[in-house]
Amino acid sequence: MTEVLARLDGIIRHFGHVKALDSANLEIHSGEIHGILGENGAGKTTLLNILGGIIHPDVGFVEVGGSRVRLQSARAAWKMGIGLVHQHFTLVPGLSVLENLALGRRHRGHRWKLHLKEIRKEASQLSELTGLTVPFEASIEELGVGDRQRIEILKALLRDPQLLVLDEPTAVLAPAEINQLFRLLRSLAEEGRAVVLVAHKLDEILSIVDRVTVLRQGRTVMTAARADVDTAILTDAMVGSSSGDGEAPATPDSFSALGQNSDGLAQNRELSNRPVARLKGITVYSPQGGLALQDVGLEVLRGEVIGVAGVEGNGQRELALVLSGRQEVASGKLEIPEHVGFIPQDRTREGLAADFDLTENVALALHRDPKFRLGPLLRWSLIESHATKIRSRFKVRSSGGRTLARELSGGNQQRLVVGRELSQLPELLIAENPTRGLDFTATAFVREELKRLAHDTAAGVVLISTDLDEILEVADRVFVILRGKLTPVPSVHDSRETVGAMMLGSRLETH
Amino acid sequence: MRRFDQLAVAVLALLATGIIAAGSLWLGGYDPLVAGAAMFQGSFGSGTAIFSVTMVRAVPLIVTGLAVALAFRAGVWNIGAEGQLYAGAIAAAWVGLSWGNAPGWFLTSATLVAALLAGAVWAAIPAFMKVRLGIGEVIPTILMNFVGIYLAAFVVHGPLQETRGVFPQTDPISDAARLSVLVEGTRLHAGFLIALLLGVILWIGLRWTHFGFQARAVGASPEAARVSGMIESKRVLLVVFLSSGAIAGLAGGIEITGVTFALYEGLSPGWGYTAIAVALLAGLHPAWVVFTGLLFGGLEAGAGAMQREAGVPAAWVSAVEALVILFVLAGDQIRRRFGA
Amino acid sequence: MPELIAVVAFLEASVRLGIPLALAAMGETITERSGVINIGLEGSLIAGALGGALGALAIGGPGGGILVGALAGALVAMIFAGFAVGLGTDQIITGTAITLGGLGFTGAIYQARFGTTGTALTLPTLSSLPIPLLSDIPIIGSALFNQAPTTYFTYLLAPALWYFVYRTEWGLELRAVGEEPDAAAAAGVRVKQSRFWATVFGGALAGIAGAHLALAHAGTFAENMSAGRGFIAIAVVVLGRWNPLLVLLAALFFGAASALQFQAQTLGLDVPYQLFLAFPYLLTLLALAGWVGKSRAPASLALPWPKES
Repeated sequence: MTEVLARLDGIIRHFGHVKALDSANLEIHSGEIHGILGENGAGKTTLLNILGGIIHPDVGFVEVGGSRVRLQSARAAWKMGIGLVHQHFTLVPGLSVLENLALGRRHRGHRWKLHLKEIRKEASQLSELTGLTVPFEASIEELGVGDRQRIEILKALLRDPQLLVLDEPTAVLAPAEINQLFRLLRSLAEEGRAVVLVAHKLDEILSIVDRVTVLRQGRTVMTAARADVDTAILTDAMVGSSSGDGEAPATPDSFSALGQNSDGLAQNRELSNRPVARLKGITVYSPQGGLALQDVGLEVLRGEVIGVAGVEGNGQRELALVLSGRQEVASGKLEIPEHVGFIPQDRTREGLAADFDLTENVALALHRDPKFRLGPLLRWSLIESHATKIRSRFKVRSSGGRTLARELSGGNQQRLVVGRELSQLPELLIAENPTRGLDFTATAFVREELKRLAHDTAAGVVLISTDLDEILEVADRVFVILRGKLTPVPSVHDSRETVGAMMLGSRLETH
Repeated sequence: MRRFDQLAVAVLALLATGIIAAGSLWLGGYDPLVAGAAMFQGSFGSGTAIFSVTMVRAVPLIVTGLAVALAFRAGVWNIGAEGQLYAGAIAAAWVGLSWGNAPGWFLTSATLVAALLAGAVWAAIPAFMKVRLGIGEVIPTILMNFVGIYLAAFVVHGPLQETRGVFPQTDPISDAARLSVLVEGTRLHAGFLIALLLGVILWIGLRWTHFGFQARAVGASPEAARVSGMIESKRVLLVVFLSSGAIAGLAGGIEITGVTFALYEGLSPGWGYTAIAVALLAGLHPAWVVFTGLLFGGLEAGAGAMQREAGVPAAWVSAVEALVILFVLAGDQIRRRFGA
Repeated sequence: MPELIAVVAFLEASVRLGIPLALAAMGETITERSGVINIGLEGSLIAGALGGALGALAIGGPGGGILVGALAGALVAMIFAGFAVGLGTDQIITGTAITLGGLGFTGAIYQARFGTTGTALTLPTLSSLPIPLLSDIPIIGSALFNQAPTTYFTYLLAPALWYFVYRTEWGLELRAVGEEPDAAAAAGVRVKQSRFWATVFGGALAGIAGAHLALAHAGTFAENMSAGRGFIAIAVVVLGRWNPLLVLLAALFFGAASALQFQAQTLGLDVPYQLFLAFPYLLTLLALAGWVGKSRAPASLALPWPKES
């Protein structure tokens, strides 16, 4: 007999003048695994945060166990039996694993001491029950994403939630880890609890959910049982007839109109068949002192996209920085062109200066080019016209060159970064998780542009991404990075499971 | 749009400060209107007030304000302008006294150059600690202020003390080293022109030069500057830090060669700290610093009059300056949080 | 034995000079553990000194002065926290402004009340209170246990604060806020509240330190008598690695180093007077430079929360 555990009704929520949720509904039954689907930016995380008591709706109500409640805080949500596991991990590096598990649990009247022993006992018991093994003795900094997520889930389960909510849990996991997680979630559901999963990638969660709710532009557009829908219906509901950022991908002449002779470029480049980048025996240390890259070797040829797949935290950052010339190596040989384009994964902090306007942000990539200088001065009029061209060719929606970068939406910010780097027509471009957090249209746009740069201008592109499907869709050749070592994937085995297994370090079966 | 917002913040901050300031006077038993009138009279009420007091008092404020604005634009929290100013003053006094026989223009220039170098040297220790050792520059620059003040005290009690040996001050520097007077019959000296020129140079430098852009980028986002701009942050920070120190040192040199013609204890009533208010109120924009410098020059000029006429202690003015900083910060923050 | 007397005098001076630093630094330790750096600590210190002086005069005893001093320091810190924690303004500049304002206001109030002639104010002093038995221990006894009562308060405060930070749930939440405020918030901790009260607490202790300076040290109030101790205290927090016990030791070490300057004077060393005055600041610079990289600050120190989106 299923009962309604929780319900969100008619939720409207603004952030400034942006309507994040515009009449969203959600109904969770006990014993089910419920998927919330939608593009990036559709409002999924906002809806979850309301359910978790972190933010309040402007309009609409929350019902738990049949009665209307006002969730004043995260703590209030827990008391109601709602446990939230966030997308970005919320573990504190300075504290031990046990202290992290203890954080937030208040022993009324006994707050003057820590109860680590009791918590350890509880956690061990729970660990055995659920199969979530957690290294209690380790320090947070050493742990990989898989371990961290397990600790987060354990932390949530310690509070015995009736409703467990997970925000994009599969985004950083390898396929085998995803299966393990799903087995756990199914057993929790069988106990009578409810599990809510948020995702923007359909295929993964379709295998596990019982019912789905689809959000589009802040509104609930569909609620259905798994059996009644398929990928096509759901994609259609998620994307709809109107697109996210409202613009189609850049037109084919996005390069040649920049005043560069990009047609000739491809021919000139292909004449030379030396690789555009070569790494040999590269070793790099991480800021914490460990080995981030070990004896890495790689050759990037012209006209190809190389994909580097891997679970977060295996040396991708250092690889990206080394390949793009932004970091020194401890040892090894590095041959890269003088100018390498770079799309960093943290677009708001590393890609753009938030308080600079769009023109100044474009200037970040142009200022070292003598073409834009006149003695000690910068040629701002030339920079401005260049920036205007980028904005129009790459369809960056803004109120002009004087707009501050912080005022743009995520998708438009990424268009600016991509446009800025690509319009330099670099021989080598490194892209680090370039579509993270972007909606469907912007994602498709970026992937298309990366392929174009490689194939149309004979540049070398290295795509480093934790999204395996992205790699498989865009790359011509695939590598896997694991604990600082780079291993090529033989193209014959380019299947998702195989690469996924390599990401985790399982042995590849040879036939 | 950005410029208008910054102007709005500045105006509102001044208004808020004025209200609180008047309120605090009233609470203290003083008549805010009498005090205000006395202040205005003392700063802008007469030709003498304007040319011999306000504008003269504005010069060190404009110059240190520029030093601080430059540093802050690049994200360097140089709270040490006070010590750098003293270092410059010491060097200027020493050169002005030692080389008495040189021709005028050469001696004046040498004196000011010495002041520039001394200011840069004073900033070098905190700069080195920041760039090489990764130690935040706030406390070191503040500590160097104390050292600078005591060094000046030592110098006027000891090695450079006047030949008479009575007061803790140096002999007056030779006439050849002094800056010429701009307006007959007033104390307004060429240092004012130097301050204006410096403002223009910094404005052009920050807005139009390659280095200026790099400095602004490092200040706007050190990460983006490094990753996307491929800017050598350490080199940029070092140059900006030393330049800021040099300019603050120059302020000290200008005071010696233009106003006091000798060094004594307590040369600066805290100009290096007031400079922070001057810079922030101007939105860190070199051109606006000239105006806010004049405003604060008037404030300090009027403080003396206010103490004489209305009995308000002069120290209260530093408190008011602190309020300006707080309200500008709050205004900027509110503007950022709640949209333009 | 003159040598022994000299040593005892040196130790007494070390403790006497170190205690105000220790109080302010321990307060700032709690503040910084929550991720807030309070450059306005100097403002709380001088406010505490004036508050202590006025309080002692008004209430008629040094105890009242200490209380008023604590309140004054807390009030100044509250203003700072309102801007820096509440609004999220830049902590460094806000703190600088608070210090300037504090020095200015206390100077103005003092001048308004007592005129500008500079005749020293006489205050009811906080005299030494020897602890029976302990103060009789040879050599260190009188140095450690024949001091003003605030000194004993400081000794007890260090282990108490240590226990608070590392062994209580409140301390765990404080540390979480200082390292990763987003994580703390997700775990249900009130980040802004935590930071606010940690800052006010730090200000209160600095206020007591200031009152101690006026009532136990100098016996009077003078403008700017804090002489940068608030800034030195911030450096002492770094040297003490944000651990209350080590901070106390570091502060006493500083006191000892400062006491050396008096020893040098009595030994007749011909060093200019102003160098003595500059010595503590130079020492702080040296200590900061020498200690670099040996400890890690709370990760969210000086960063506003919530972060700008």
